[in-house]
Amino acid sequence: MIPTASLSWFAGHEFTLAWRDWVTLMSGGRKLRDRAILIGMGVFALAMHGFAYFVLKGTFASLQGIDVGLLVMISASLILTFTMMLSQAMEQITRAFYSRDDLDLILSSPAPAQDLFTVRIVMMALTTALMSALMVAPFINVAVALGGVQWLAGYGVVIAVSGVATGVAVLLTLLLFHSVGAKRTRLIAQIMAAIVGASFIIGLQVVAIVSYGSISRFSVINSDALSTSAPAVESLWWLPAHAATGNLSALFISMLVAGLFFAVATRAGANAFQKTVLEALSVSVDKVSQTSAKSPFQIRSKHSALMHKELMLLSRDPWLVSQTLMQILYLIPPALLLWVKYGETASLSVILAPVIVMAVGQLAGGLAWLTISGEDAPDLVATAPVRPIALLGAKVSAVLVLVMTLVTPLVFGIALMSVWGAAMTFLGALLAASCAILIQLWFRAQSKRSNFRRRQVASKASTFCEAFASISCALTAAVAAMGSFAVVVPALLVVLVMGIAWLLSPR
Amino acid sequence: MANAPHALEIKDLHKTFVEPAVDGLSLTITAGEFYALLGPNGAGKTTTLRMVAGLLNKDAGNIKVCGIDAGLEPIAAKQVMAWVPDEPLIYDKLTPMEYLAFVAGLWGMNADVAKLKAVKLLTQFGLGAHADERCQGFSKGMRQKVALAGALIHDPKLIILDEPLTGLDAGSARQVKSVLRNLVSQGVTVIMTTHILEVAERMADRIGVIAKGRLIAQGTLQELRETSGDTGKSLEDIFLEIVKDSSEESATRLEQGEEANAA
Repeated sequence: MIPTASLSWFAGHEFTLAWRDWVTLMSGGRKLRDRAILIGMGVFALAMHGFAYFVLKGTFASLQGIDVGLLVMISASLILTFTMMLSQAMEQITRAFYSRDDLDLILSSPAPAQDLFTVRIVMMALTTALMSALMVAPFINVAVALGGVQWLAGYGVVIAVSGVATGVAVLLTLLLFHSVGAKRTRLIAQIMAAIVGASFIIGLQVVAIVSYGSISRFSVINSDALSTSAPAVESLWWLPAHAATGNLSALFISMLVAGLFFAVATRAGANAFQKTVLEALSVSVDKVSQTSAKSPFQIRSKHSALMHKELMLLSRDPWLVSQTLMQILYLIPPALLLWVKYGETASLSVILAPVIVMAVGQLAGGLAWLTISGEDAPDLVATAPVRPIALLGAKVSAVLVLVMTLVTPLVFGIALMSVWGAAMTFLGALLAASCAILIQLWFRAQSKRSNFRRRQVASKASTFCEAFASISCALTAAVAAMGSFAVVVPALLVVLVMGIAWLLSPR
Repeated sequence: MANAPHALEIKDLHKTFVEPAVDGLSLTITAGEFYALLGPNGAGKTTTLRMVAGLLNKDAGNIKVCGIDAGLEPIAAKQVMAWVPDEPLIYDKLTPMEYLAFVAGLWGMNADVAKLKAVKLLTQFGLGAHADERCQGFSKGMRQKVALAGALIHDPKLIILDEPLTGLDAGSARQVKSVLRNLVSQGVTVIMTTHILEVAERMADRIGVIAKGRLIAQGTLQELRETSGDTGKSLEDIFLEIVKDSSEESATRLEQGEEANAA
């Protein structure tokens, strides 16, 4: 008789899954050989080390010992790493609760579920640490090269931070389950994960802009005001930062505290996991009644039937809409920067136009993916007696209708200050939406709507093209709103970006 | 049936992915026939039917649906045809009524007629009580029935079903079979792939067997029995025999080819 799964065997299984998931993430789902992945990783690591050297060279050249300024910088980096890890861990835990992939198998097997879930949580902490280490390791390595081997302690701190982040994520998700129930936890946890991931960077940038008129977060971190108001070097607040500098007792305490916290959280999580998973899985079989005074059967053309379907599906998926709207969060800092820098000299329409246009570009990209690539019943649509061009036309119209519905009130608001500015904002938004839609059309690949968050991984080229197109459209709108003939330059940039996108698109 | 119009005519159809999936397949199905397409896994059944439904481009050959050349007039061909895939792909966020309204819209149906038909179909499939619930919590059987209702709402002349009974409970399977039988009695042509040979044996007017992308046997059950030389044989025995013969034949051909190459 074969004994039931041992923990090490299950850990090996989890590691294989994590590795393959990571490879898919890195390769965008394409079949790449391990050698190609290793070469890619090598090039990335080299570039990151170069960047780390560029950032740390000055700091180490002027380093006089461990002072508050250095501790502030390290602590800020650790908080940033923590928020990224927390966001990633929350994401992983939500997926583990709600994805049915292998939960049926695990829960129906004779292996003790509690032990298996313990391994799963430990693996989440390790993958979280590994993913962050990819970004952090070059900085630690360069610090070792410039400042000595004591900086290797940074790796220990990364592991400790990952343990704390995963522990917090486990407890937070369980708390959500108890407070808002299994049904709402998924949406709230995913929104929280996105906000947590973005909040620290955005927060620092907002403070930097308001206080120093610069978008760089280093303005805050390196500021005298922060150094003078910060606690003294010996304060316990700096314990993790001291640990990262190679202070062995600080490292030991940090790792011990983090380890204990992680153990407690893992234990609590593993105990509650089975019950929580069962609750989470039952969410999918809950009935959602949809009663409407309006009959779904109305005299409609094929075009409007398709458009109606797209709009209805979007309106019924708050998770997808929230994920799309989340991208707009990142526009807060540049909007604020424009306001701080040019608020007194330029008219408000010149400041608002690029921000709105940029937001529209991002929003339209997400919506266009959902309608064009994210089709859940591709066979039905493909076998319908509708010309493919008419199908695409309906989907594109749905995106444009939605985007323009959101933009129009803003444009009317701007029109109260400047009709010209409002017109340019509207045209810019239309241009940005059209560019985003075209890019989605060129790069379209059939997928389930639930894969929305992986769309950027599937085609990095389209993601970059989308971003550059939005930026150049925003620039065009801003210059046009000023009424300058120089608008030709950013307009040509739009054409150039779209040309490159077309050349890069698969045929 | 010799002079009856053809619901489907396939001539010398070819499709190659890495290896030929459909290799010169020709097939004619008469209007009002219940045709079962059998074959081992990877024989080319689904590929053939996906090309007929317009979901896959053919490399060569001709497909005519109710006399309409599907290559030249794909929209007209799609108008008279319905496709039900093995995996019921429907929208989780729509209710069955909304799904049917969407399908009716795509096929350009009159809204009032479509509404009456939708209510009738959902009741017939035992989904009346779930008509206004979103499909996200539905079992595979319920989803399959919604997809089937979607295929029937626009009164197609030809229905192509890929493994329609997989995952259905006995009651649901009986409902589906009864609906299909009724359709055939009303003159609708049904083409179905299945691995459940008893279903083909009991329901089909004619049975076709595909292996390695070619039609290797075709006829009524009686004709297939006569060809096999034993009128008492079950379809399962006949099918396994035909498929085995076909693999042995290709193995012999392969060996002969290798020998010829060696020589």
